[in-house]
Amino acid sequence: MAALNYVGSRRGKLLFAGGVYLGLIALTAAFLFPLVWIIGLSLKTRLQVFANPPLFLWWPTWENYTAVFQRADFGQAFINSLLVSSGAVSLSLLVGVPAAYAFARFPFFGRNFLFFGLLAMRMLPPIAVLVPMYVLFSKIGLTTTRSSVILAYSTFSLPLVVWIMRGFFEDLPRELEESAWVDGASRYQTFFYVVLPLIRPGLVAASILCLQLAWNDFLFSAVLTNNATRTLPVLMAAFSGGDTGVDWGGMTASGVLVILPVIIFSFLAQRHLVAGLSSGAVKG
Amino acid sequence: MGGTTTTAPGAAALAVPARAGHRRLPGRWLDRYFIVFAVTPTTLLMLCVFGLPLLFSGFLSFQGWAPELGLFDGKFVGTANYEDLLTDPDFLGSIHLTLIYTASTVAAELVVGLGIALLLNIDLPYIAIFRTLLIVPMMITPVVAAFCWKLLLDPDHGVINYWIGEHIVWLGRPGTALFAVALVSVWQNAPYVSILLLAGLRSLPHEPVEAARIDGASVWQMFWHITLPLLRPYVVVALLLRTIFEFRAFDNIYVLTSGGPANATMTLSQFTYLASFVRFDLSLGAAASWLMLLMSMLLCLVFMTTVRRRDVN
Repeated sequence: MAALNYVGSRRGKLLFAGGVYLGLIALTAAFLFPLVWIIGLSLKTRLQVFANPPLFLWWPTWENYTAVFQRADFGQAFINSLLVSSGAVSLSLLVGVPAAYAFARFPFFGRNFLFFGLLAMRMLPPIAVLVPMYVLFSKIGLTTTRSSVILAYSTFSLPLVVWIMRGFFEDLPRELEESAWVDGASRYQTFFYVVLPLIRPGLVAASILCLQLAWNDFLFSAVLTNNATRTLPVLMAAFSGGDTGVDWGGMTASGVLVILPVIIFSFLAQRHLVAGLSSGAVKG
Repeated sequence: MGGTTTTAPGAAALAVPARAGHRRLPGRWLDRYFIVFAVTPTTLLMLCVFGLPLLFSGFLSFQGWAPELGLFDGKFVGTANYEDLLTDPDFLGSIHLTLIYTASTVAAELVVGLGIALLLNIDLPYIAIFRTLLIVPMMITPVVAAFCWKLLLDPDHGVINYWIGEHIVWLGRPGTALFAVALVSVWQNAPYVSILLLAGLRSLPHEPVEAARIDGASVWQMFWHITLPLLRPYVVVALLLRTIFEFRAFDNIYVLTSGGPANATMTLSQFTYLASFVRFDLSLGAAASWLMLLMSMLLCLVFMTTVRRRDVN
């Protein structure tokens, strides 16, 4: 809006708009090229991948994808990722949403302690928690289980849930709850039947952000899992560790399959995502 | 629950309002504990996965502990672990490197992110498409993103060397390796900065810019003297968040170089990881992680005080 008004004439405006579009197209091309190239590699045969000069036009093949789907370790890691990230999101929502409501509405004993605790949890480097966590978990026999990863993920997803949800609760007018109390509902009834249905968009935003973080995490699950319970990023790192080898088609195909769910999910919920990101960061 | 017993036996036969009140009693009694129920689970989870481990790693860092020992069977060694670290040139080098890496990636992300945000803030038809497409890199799993770049930068078959027309071993030379890991991070996180700043730009008032335009200010003057100062709180938030997250950089470095070549990309996270989970010296790892923790706390404090002081003046 504003920027177009800087330019006076109609001709100038057209030129300006053209320049902006050109700039944006160049930027988008630069930012998306790595991804497009990788998707391209995943659709090439082994000979085509290593062709010199690189092929820019070819007839795509699905053989890499069928090969990946036949791998047992990929399927297992996919299921692990799914279980672990949905577990982490559920745990954080279950535990964090009531606390966020309390933060938004009531003064209580230990409020500042909890606030700074959660802030520190989000801000401090995860490796600092991971070292003692590994020791403690291994002594109580929790390492290499999926539960340990779910617990570990709550170090980032719990603060995020409380953060984002607090913003949504604060935006809700108090009058709705007050009228529910006047009508004789208990605080629990008010919370479950009046407040929660109204902040559904907030729940969606918080779950998507947590899901994305949990799905993408590498460090925690690299340390806390074994070959049977490892998640997709750990499997990917194992593929590409050291030498990249010769199976570029297979590796790129699995890489694309790892990022596909997050990208689709983020597109579907983009509006919530942007709102959640900026509310969590700026208003907090 | 306990409240119901106080009602007289005949009360149930009375009018409806009384019965309603009667039924509400247990709810009101529980209401007083609502906050306790709401806050306790979060507090407990926080203490279990964060408070307790941190305390334990503080304890561990003063011990000579080995994985085969019981939890509290390590020998007290005083500050030996810390002394080892602070006299280890590799560790001191990794502090230095982490600061350089953090400063340069954050600066690049802010500049690129601000540029993207300014372009995306212009209202033109179909601009929403670009807004959607440009944030895709930020969604990608960092390990996969680093892996993509590893193939692009491959010395023999990578498309980047093909375009340059030279045989550069990007990840095998100290300077280019550091550049490559930083590039991956900037590629992924500049869109994140641009989203934050775009939200800021959208919320700015129009009047100051309009007034300046009427007074005949140039586009550059308007940006430098009006938009940027108004945007400052958002820039500070982006700066703070990105600094905190770059300080702990791990995934891209682990996949691309694992700290090499010749420790050229050995950040603090990478150092701590190798000490704890490759050499399995968990006491040393605990000490390193506590030093890292103190450093990031210091960073946060410095930021918060400078921001507050500037706002007071």
